[in-house]
Amino acid sequence: MAMPTVQRRTSTPASRLTRWMHTLKSSLGRPLIAVLVAFILGMIIVMIASPGALGDRFNTAVSAYYNLVMGSFGNIQSISYTLAKTTPLIFTGLAVALAYRAGLFNIGAAGQLAVGAMVAGIIGLKLGSLPGVILVPMMLVASMLAGAFWGSIVGILKAWRGAHEVVTSIMLNWIAFYVCAALVEGPFQAPGLSQQTTPLSASATLPSLANLYNQTLGTIFGQIPLAAQYTVDVSLLLAFVALVVYWFLTSRTTFGYSLRVIGQNPKAARYAGISVKRNLVLAMALAGAFAGLAGATRLMGQSPYQLISSGFSSDSTGFDAIGVALLGRTTAIGVILSALLFGGLQQAGPFLQLNVGVPGDLIYILQALVLFAVAVEYVPSFQRFLPPFMRRTKPVLAPPLVPNLIKSEALLEHASGSSTAGPPEATLTDNSVGATDAPTPATSQED
Amino acid sequence: MFLQVLGHVLITSDLWQAALQFAALLLLPALGGVISERSGVVNIAMEGMMLIGAYAGVMVAVATHNILLGVLGAMIAGGLLALVHAIVSINFMANQTVSGIAINIAALGLTNFLLPIQTNGQGITALDSSLRLPQAALGPLAHIPFIGPVLFQQNILFYVVVLIVILLHFLLFRTNIGLRIRAVGEHPQAADTAGVNVRLVRYLCVVSSGLLSGLAGAFLSLGIAGIFNQDMTAGQGYIALAAMIFGKYTPFGAAGACIVFGLGEALSPRLQDTGISANLLSTLPYLLTLVALVGLVGRTMAPAADGVPYEPAAE
Repeated sequence: MAMPTVQRRTSTPASRLTRWMHTLKSSLGRPLIAVLVAFILGMIIVMIASPGALGDRFNTAVSAYYNLVMGSFGNIQSISYTLAKTTPLIFTGLAVALAYRAGLFNIGAAGQLAVGAMVAGIIGLKLGSLPGVILVPMMLVASMLAGAFWGSIVGILKAWRGAHEVVTSIMLNWIAFYVCAALVEGPFQAPGLSQQTTPLSASATLPSLANLYNQTLGTIFGQIPLAAQYTVDVSLLLAFVALVVYWFLTSRTTFGYSLRVIGQNPKAARYAGISVKRNLVLAMALAGAFAGLAGATRLMGQSPYQLISSGFSSDSTGFDAIGVALLGRTTAIGVILSALLFGGLQQAGPFLQLNVGVPGDLIYILQALVLFAVAVEYVPSFQRFLPPFMRRTKPVLAPPLVPNLIKSEALLEHASGSSTAGPPEATLTDNSVGATDAPTPATSQED
Repeated sequence: MFLQVLGHVLITSDLWQAALQFAALLLLPALGGVISERSGVVNIAMEGMMLIGAYAGVMVAVATHNILLGVLGAMIAGGLLALVHAIVSINFMANQTVSGIAINIAALGLTNFLLPIQTNGQGITALDSSLRLPQAALGPLAHIPFIGPVLFQQNILFYVVVLIVILLHFLLFRTNIGLRIRAVGEHPQAADTAGVNVRLVRYLCVVSSGLLSGLAGAFLSLGIAGIFNQDMTAGQGYIALAAMIFGKYTPFGAAGACIVFGLGEALSPRLQDTGISANLLSTLPYLLTLVALVGLVGRTMAPAADGVPYEPAAE
């Protein structure tokens, strides 16, 4: 048991490579299994639900999946649609992931997204005459601030009143939905229409990537023909910026480090001198800012460029984000990949009905199954059901998520073999589960 | 103007009848939540269980031409979905919040997926009155002015709900079984040592929450609406969740919360003329619950072991 910890400290290129491979395997393997399990179960559901002999049912299921793939990534146009659906999922996925690092379950991304979109919309409508160079950044920043405000309420209630974040964020979601709907149907109602605002003026919108290219580099390197059919807009680039910011924050700053310590063990964090309260509020505010951007960028980047009062509560992006973050194991790369998966599913859903006669809502069943599979798969108890060769017996060579100050303690634990939870992933879903005041990871699996 | 209308509306028996009907509808899943969380399993999936209950109730009732079978089907559907939650969160020790969200998404996806398949794309038309849960007037009591229409001219399930809430209170706080349930939710290790089968108790409690939520679904589709629409629960399961917390995880507390929330729901269409936005009025349950959580009106505390998976030490 002590061997890995010793190896970890020597840092030859070869050992680094093996470690990297291990991390890659452990972080990719299980989510892939989760997706596979979900898709097999989904296939069974299609086969049960479709008519005909067993062979026909099988064919229906296969062609359903074929259509899912082709509908989402089959040609450049559908890829463009998929990317447009992926963008908000990246933002909200990061919103959930960042909070998760701190052991908080942010299911309030939906509400944070709503207030972000609303505030951006209000500014866009009220100041629509300003030039885009000023207006667009203003709207984006305002949406971040609004989302951050909405998110920080959860953090404040958690930090100072111990109110459980799942419950408060559900309440805040619905408050946001109704308040935004009241604003859309009230002061910001389009004349003559009851449930929507007027579309944003052109200066308040984000151009599509294809149009942007045609106007800039395209004048030199040649135009993209039929640019209008490629709908993905520049907010995809913003999403990449957000991903880099997230990666940097979580893995290259003290703040990110503190968050992980808090998420793993708030008591240890307190002993190490980390301000738990301040960091919780900050984490939720940042998470809210990401989610707020999701709302603003979709409003500004995608047709119909207007707010619809029923759109806030019926929008599932904030909840899909939970799947995105958990499937992506709260890493930046993972969030991209799983956002692509979920975005692709959502883009391809309608093709199922059109081409195979299978209702497009199959994709929501698939998403739910992925969530189940993800929720289950980290847990050590599940390993008992796996054949021995698939069990993780040795701790993986991932760095322990403990602060430098208490590293020696952790090393001792490793050496004595009392800690079975070597890999950081093992504690991801165990902590922050329910209504306990402070998430205490990995307590139930120790003895 | 506003106060005048409000005063006028508040003394109509019509308003209180509607308020109590909403309250009874919300109370069923809220009680389900109470029993599940008291046993230590976080349940935010009442929304999904209600929706699948509403769907199954209508489908079974239409297929068998039997309203009782419909209600039964609704409860079984809710119970089955709850069983998934129980297996995933008790045996596989999954994150119970994730499982709850997955159930809500799955219920929405399943009902939307099955509806066009089972009705050949037609959707469900309004139910025949023989397939609807009837209103029942309780004999002479129904003729008492004001109180009669409010309390004794309700849907037949209303009386069932009143019975359930009293029984559940009695069960939780006056019987051995209730003591065990609460012990499992507060301190599973101690309960285990005392010979209580922690997992079995949790299983039964979670499945009961599904049965109750499924019944609420039947109340909604077979009783109140007389039809099934896509996503017809529209967040009521979450209001029930709020009611459970606002009611401090007790049956009577949840009942009180449901009456307050039901009154809000019944008021909003009746106050349209005053210019008060129905949307803003709808935030009331959630705002009140937040206030309760923050501790301004007495702190709400969840059971100690709520959401913590339990693994027996012997294994």
